[in-house]
Amino acid sequence: MSDRPQIGQRLKEFEEREVERILGACTQCGKCHEVCPMAQYSKAPSGDHPSIVGGVLAVLRGEAGTPEALGWIGVCTRSGVCVPACPENVDPKMMMRLARMTALGGRGQPAQLPVKEDPDYFDRVRAFAKLQLSDDELKEWT
Amino acid sequence: MSTAVTFWYGCNVLRHGDIIHACLDILRALDYEPSPVGGVDYCCGTVKDANQTAAAGMATRTVGKLNNRGAPVVVWCPSCHSHMHEFMGRTNERRFDMSYLVELLHAKRERLAPLLVHEVPMRVFLHQHVGFNDLVPVNRMVPELLGLIPGVQVLQATYTAPGYMCASFAALPKALEDIHNNTARAAKDGGADAVVSVFHQCYREMVGLDAAGAIPVYNYIHLIARSMGLPYRDEYKEWKRAGEHAAELIGSERIAKVGIQFYERAILPELKKRPSLRNS
Repeated sequence: MSDRPQIGQRLKEFEEREVERILGACTQCGKCHEVCPMAQYSKAPSGDHPSIVGGVLAVLRGEAGTPEALGWIGVCTRSGVCVPACPENVDPKMMMRLARMTALGGRGQPAQLPVKEDPDYFDRVRAFAKLQLSDDELKEWT
Repeated sequence: MSTAVTFWYGCNVLRHGDIIHACLDILRALDYEPSPVGGVDYCCGTVKDANQTAAAGMATRTVGKLNNRGAPVVVWCPSCHSHMHEFMGRTNERRFDMSYLVELLHAKRERLAPLLVHEVPMRVFLHQHVGFNDLVPVNRMVPELLGLIPGVQVLQATYTAPGYMCASFAALPKALEDIHNNTARAAKDGGADAVVSVFHQCYREMVGLDAAGAIPVYNYIHLIARSMGLPYRDEYKEWKRAGEHAAELIGSERIAKVGIQFYERAILPELKKRPSLRNS
């Protein structure tokens, strides 16, 4: 057996520690959702801020999220307005990022949000590089 | 004596070769010796939220490659910079100092100012977001940099978009439509001649306003480069303006490099796309 750590092991452990920290620190006061400039774009908007945050924490625990929680997770674009609004220093931006990864199935749990990966994403980057850089630059810079 | 740095430009800024080339010339003029790296082989992995094993592998590979270069890293892309701070650098052994380009230019502004010799007469509205500023206060620093350019007048920001950059709104069309409309309206209400973006991800979206004839759009590097007399052409803007006819500007030789079918399926739709503007 190789002693090399499995790919992703350190990231997995880091994310697990962060989830544990967030679950222990969050009091579900709902301030993070209350100040969020993206909440209005949710597919299931709601003014019940504590309940929505409770749904986000459920996702982090690997449980099913409510439509309102998943709706909010789906529109988070990392504004970060939630971070200074949190009275418990939870770092709700990290909370939402981890919830998004979890809801997309990225951390091993079943996906609860549709994964919309662009199949041409990386090939498009390579194509624009060919359109914009010289052959020497392509070789040296990418 | 120049200082060697790695200029980690990211992935999607490869749409804008003029921005990359101008950044390199600006760094050289400030006595740096930049080695540019980017593209798919240097991806930070932030786009892989749905596959953390892939994200981790990409992050470890990229941190390792940047470690091996043995030079401080100057970052262009806000997503790469954020991801390094929030995930990559906390789960890998990062052995290089890192700064964001805006921070570096701002720190060197006394050296930069005398290089800005050409007048750029323009009243500009900064397209800004609420996010990222906890990491680097770009909404303060970029207007201060633009203010060094003779002729540029930076208008007071009366609209700040949510999120940290526009590309993350690709799957949120209503929100992106609001950003396009609010930006154009605020810029026009303020009497701006042009909208100026901080990030390439925003430039890619906002330049649609230019192509639609709403208002001219630039990235802040374009204006610094113009004032320094750097001659790079913004081909992406020309292609975007040409839309359906962009291939005539790109030329058959370059189209052949990416393949006509791929161009028509994956590139042309982006060049033809225009923002949905509401009358106000």
